[in-house]
Amino acid sequence: MSRLHDMGGRFGDGSIPIPRDDKNEVINLEPTFKYEWHAKAWAITLAAGALGEWNLDISRHYRECLPPKDYVNFSYYEKWLAALTNLLIDKELISISELKDYVYAAENGTLKKFSDNDIKLDHRTWLAKDVQKTLGWGGPSVRDINISPVFDIGDKVITQNYSPNKDISGGHTRLPKYAMGRVGVIHSYNNNHVFPDKNAHSLGENPLPLYTVEFKASEIWGELAENENDGILLDLWEPYLKLFPH
Amino acid sequence: MSEKKNIVEDHHHADDHAHSHLPSDPELRVKALETLLLNKGLIVSKTLDELIDTYENRIGPKNGANVVAKAWVDPEYKKRLLTDATSAIRELSYQGRQGENMVVVENTPEIHNVIVCTLCSCYPWPVLGIPPTWYKSDEYRSRTVREPRKVLLEFGLSLDPKVQIKVWDSTAEIRYLVLPMRPKGTEKMNESELAELVTRNSMIGTGLPKEIK
Repeated sequence: MSRLHDMGGRFGDGSIPIPRDDKNEVINLEPTFKYEWHAKAWAITLAAGALGEWNLDISRHYRECLPPKDYVNFSYYEKWLAALTNLLIDKELISISELKDYVYAAENGTLKKFSDNDIKLDHRTWLAKDVQKTLGWGGPSVRDINISPVFDIGDKVITQNYSPNKDISGGHTRLPKYAMGRVGVIHSYNNNHVFPDKNAHSLGENPLPLYTVEFKASEIWGELAENENDGILLDLWEPYLKLFPH
Repeated sequence: MSEKKNIVEDHHHADDHAHSHLPSDPELRVKALETLLLNKGLIVSKTLDELIDTYENRIGPKNGANVVAKAWVDPEYKKRLLTDATSAIRELSYQGRQGENMVVVENTPEIHNVIVCTLCSCYPWPVLGIPPTWYKSDEYRSRTVREPRKVLLEFGLSLDPKVQIKVWDSTAEIRYLVLPMRPKGTEKMNESELAELVTRNSMIGTGLPKEIK
C-alpha cells in the first residue's frame, strides 16, 4: 500500500502549470517565492528544523502522513506548515493550548510580538550569524562506514513488490510504488547513505549502500510506455533490491 | 522467526492532528506560528530574513549556468564535473544544503536527461535555488516518469523519437543537474556570454539553452 505523496505515474493530472509570457513563451525565471507567506512558511520550517528535534526524513514522513483529504487540498507550503505544526506539538516545542491562543489572537487581530528584551532565546536557536555556515555545510547523508555493496554495476535486480518498510506499517520509504516489483540494472553505487525507512521513525541512521538503478520504460509501463527504449533511473537502497533471477 | 514483528503505529487519526487547529487563511497560519515561535525564543527574525534573502538574491540558477558554461569551455573541468560533480561544483564555491551529493548528467545527440522528484520536491539548491512551482506540482511529479515526451512537449520541446530520454527520479539525497548541449554557432563566445544562454529549465531537462540569432 502506498501513500498519497507517492504519485509517480498516476493518471488524472492535467497540464503542467508552466508560467508563460504574452507570446506564450515559457518563462524561465519566476520570483523565488510567489507570496510573502510562502517565504515565511519555508524559512520558519528551516529555522525550526535547525533546533535539531527532527531530521529530514522525519519531516518528509510528517508531510506524507497528513490525512489524504488535507494532502490533496493543501498547497505546497500549506503542507509544510501543517507538518511543521504537528512536529512542534509532538516534540513538545509548543503546546496545543499555546497554539490555540496564538491562532485565536491571529484571527482577532490581537497577535503581539514580545519585545526582544522579553524573549529568552533557546540555546539551540539558529542565529543569523550562523546561517551561511550552516547552509554551506548542509546535511550530508553519506556515512563513512565499512559496508561493502552486495551488487555490482551491471547486475540485474528486482525491486521489492511491497513497501520495503518492515518495521512500520504504512511507514516511510523511498521506493515509489510505480517501481515496485520491477527488474532493472545497477547503474552505479553511490556509497552508504542514511536509510530513510529507519531514520524517518527515529530508529537510527542505519546507513546502507545506495545504488542508482536503471529501468526500461517498457519494464515499468508495459505497452503504455511512450518509447520502450527510454529509461527511468532511481536511487534505491540495498534492502529495496534482490538479485534477479533470485 | 514466526514471531510477529512489533508493528509500531505512529500515525495520528485525522481529528487528533494539531494542524486542524490552524486558521483557514494560510497567511494567518504563518503569522500565528511565527509569532509563537519568536516569542518562545525558538526562532529569530533576522535568521528568517537572512534565509529568504539568500535564496531570493544570492543562490539561484545563475550558479548552475556558471557551472555549465565552464564545462562548455573547459574540457578538463567538464571531465571533473561528470566524474565528481560535488567537488567540481565546489570549485566555484557552490555547495551545501540540498547539494551535498551532486551528480551531473550530460545531454548528447543521442540522450536527453530530465530530472524529477515524484515523492516530494528534491532539487539541487546550491546551483538552481528553490524549485519553481511547476516542479513541485502534482502534474509534473506524476506525469514525467510515465509520459516524459508529452510533458516536454508542453514545455515546447519536441524530441526526435530516436533520442533516448532518461528520467532521473530523485528518490534519495543525490541531487541532479543536467549539462545541456552547447548551442551551435557559439564558438566565439566566452564563458560569461555562454552563461547567459543557459536557462534554468535547460538544467532540469525541460528546456534547451537559448539559441543565438
